[in-house]
Amino acid sequence: MNASATVIGTIARKELLELLRDARFWWTGGIILLLMLIALFLGWQQMQRVDGEHAAARAVTYQQWLDQGDKNPHQAAHFGQYAFKPVSPLAFVDPGIDQFVGSTVWVEAHKQNEFNFRPARDATSLQRFGELTIAFVLQILAPLVIVLLAFSAFTGERERGTLRQLLSIGVKPTQLLVGKGLAIMTAVGALLLPMALLGFIALGFADDQHASATNLYLRSTWLVVGYAIYLTGFIALALGASAASSSSRKALIVLLAFWVVNGFIAPRAMTDLARLFCPTPTKVEFQNGINEARKATFGHDETHPAFTAFRDEVLKKYNVTRIEDLPVSFRGLSLRKDDENGYRIYDEHYGALWATYARQERIRAIAGFAFPLAALRPFSMGLAGTDTFHQNRFATAAELYRRQIQTAMSEDLIQHHKNGDNKYVSNRQLWEKIPTLEHKIPEAKTAIAEQGLNLGILLVWMLATITFAVTATRRLRPL
Amino acid sequence: MLQATELTKAYNGVIALNKLNLTVNSGEIFCLLGANGAGKTTTINLFLNFVTPTGGRALVNGIDVSEEPLEVKRHIAYIPETVMLYPSLSGLENLKYFTTLALGHKRPEHELLELLGQAGLAKEAAFKRVSGYSKGMRQKVGIAIAMAKNAKALLLDEPTSGLDPQAANEFSKLLDRLKAEGVAILMATHDLFLAKQVGTRVGIMQRGILVSTMTTDDLGHADLERIYLDIADDCMDAGGRAMQGAIAERKEDK
Repeated sequence: MNASATVIGTIARKELLELLRDARFWWTGGIILLLMLIALFLGWQQMQRVDGEHAAARAVTYQQWLDQGDKNPHQAAHFGQYAFKPVSPLAFVDPGIDQFVGSTVWVEAHKQNEFNFRPARDATSLQRFGELTIAFVLQILAPLVIVLLAFSAFTGERERGTLRQLLSIGVKPTQLLVGKGLAIMTAVGALLLPMALLGFIALGFADDQHASATNLYLRSTWLVVGYAIYLTGFIALALGASAASSSSRKALIVLLAFWVVNGFIAPRAMTDLARLFCPTPTKVEFQNGINEARKATFGHDETHPAFTAFRDEVLKKYNVTRIEDLPVSFRGLSLRKDDENGYRIYDEHYGALWATYARQERIRAIAGFAFPLAALRPFSMGLAGTDTFHQNRFATAAELYRRQIQTAMSEDLIQHHKNGDNKYVSNRQLWEKIPTLEHKIPEAKTAIAEQGLNLGILLVWMLATITFAVTATRRLRPL
Repeated sequence: MLQATELTKAYNGVIALNKLNLTVNSGEIFCLLGANGAGKTTTINLFLNFVTPTGGRALVNGIDVSEEPLEVKRHIAYIPETVMLYPSLSGLENLKYFTTLALGHKRPEHELLELLGQAGLAKEAAFKRVSGYSKGMRQKVGIAIAMAKNAKALLLDEPTSGLDPQAANEFSKLLDRLKAEGVAILMATHDLFLAKQVGTRVGIMQRGILVSTMTTDDLGHADLERIYLDIADDCMDAGGRAMQGAIAERKEDK
């Protein structure tokens, strides 16, 4: 081992020894560990409960679909089904937006419905104070622990007079920085790694129906990487602030102010700013927009000009003058045509809405260059599979499922319904052709690609804090 | 070994040290005497590169302190007025820590205990946490740190301040031994009698200027009395100036 490595290792060991002999470290560490354990337990329990409820409800709703009896296929399309968003096995780490946007959607004829059953809507007002999750502990509490461990790293040495002693024997300030940084990383790692290990073990027991084990472990590894970057940046920032401050008190005030802005003010301010620059329509405005566009389509209105135009077009195509003379079911054709018109409208409106959400997220992420939680939060939700992107993927899958039902019902009419026969019914054989919706959580590489910007921002922020820490430490003076 | 050439330091225009010319050879103890604010600590700080000189050069073993501060620190050891240590570590752990950092490698524990013993710290005290140490005990650990380094030059800033007479006497013996081993020692002190007892030469500083230098052999009882009175007068005169200097120094640090 060369001399510099010995010096750094000695500094790190001494810092750890001091920490271990400090009762405050044991208290803080104990509280964090306890909170993590509670968060892990509650998160896991909640995830298992919701997943179990969804599985049961999915089975019931599909059985109802199968047992709906003989009826006209279009009536069956109206009968519809519920589609349940699979709970990501990593939701116990970060439940993300699931509880705010809902996880269940009613798929039926003619309409692309919005998601229902939002747990946050049913919660008490206490929910507004936030939930104890592993993500909350890592995003908010862990940086606070780092601040408390590191704020006096250099100012304390200066105030105690030991900095003078250290610099007089030729210790380089950067060696002090690295040694202290390693010690805090080890201490924080010792607190968090057992939880990460427990999380990995817990994943082994997760239901792999919605995501493969490889997918989950890859996502978990990237989650660890993201949080490691975030917390390393915080360590560098706290050490840099300590080196740059003239007193421990000032360092603590500056760091606490940053912690508050990063954790509580910047995310809300950026959300408002994003809404200002990229406004989303209200629910009523959005529905009105769709309803307005749908006026151009005929639905069940046989007096609608679009309906008569379509009828004339079909009659002309088959070279007949009466619907009764058509070789295929005009009812089926018109339903399929109306569905296709509807798809175009929904794609356009929902596409614009999701695009606005994506723009808002990009605006929010920019704040991550200064306040990293703005980049870490979406990264964490993205890797946990509980963000807007995953919601969108499921919404798309649910809509495709709805269209699959619509198409199958309309095609059955086209093929088997005789024009003028108002009593045509289909049966279980047709209903059974519609499988259950089996949505798989996208592969880890898809989530990582989606979170590339946020990961990049986190990396830039961490490098900036390290540069700040090195610069501040190099300017360190003992007097 | 220690050499100052036209060494000058000013804080915001206030001269703290004015063109100091000084040489301390191996095996010599040079005592800097003077009132507070006379420039003694500034001289030590310049040799440690804690402050940058406004003019002139400070050399250790022929190496310019400003140009190669880390190389210089391999040759010097420093004992401040109050040795500050880590309170949650024992005296031995503190010594082990500072020694490993200074040398870049570990020294065996029995050697470190021996050094603490030589510095006058009882063995059982070496394993106790420093938080319970008296100033004298901390000072002894500081001395052991300096000895562990086997430095060629030693910078001492009021090292016996606050020590009880027995500890001060032990310290004097230790300095004698280091002198005999060829260590060059520059000591800033108020203690005329310590200077007379252990010093090879003494230099009187007033308002940042080294006003006179003499060997301790030439230093008679009458000289001691005169120097004492001069310093006392200077203390009175320099009270305001020292305060001004101190304020300027603090401003610069900020």
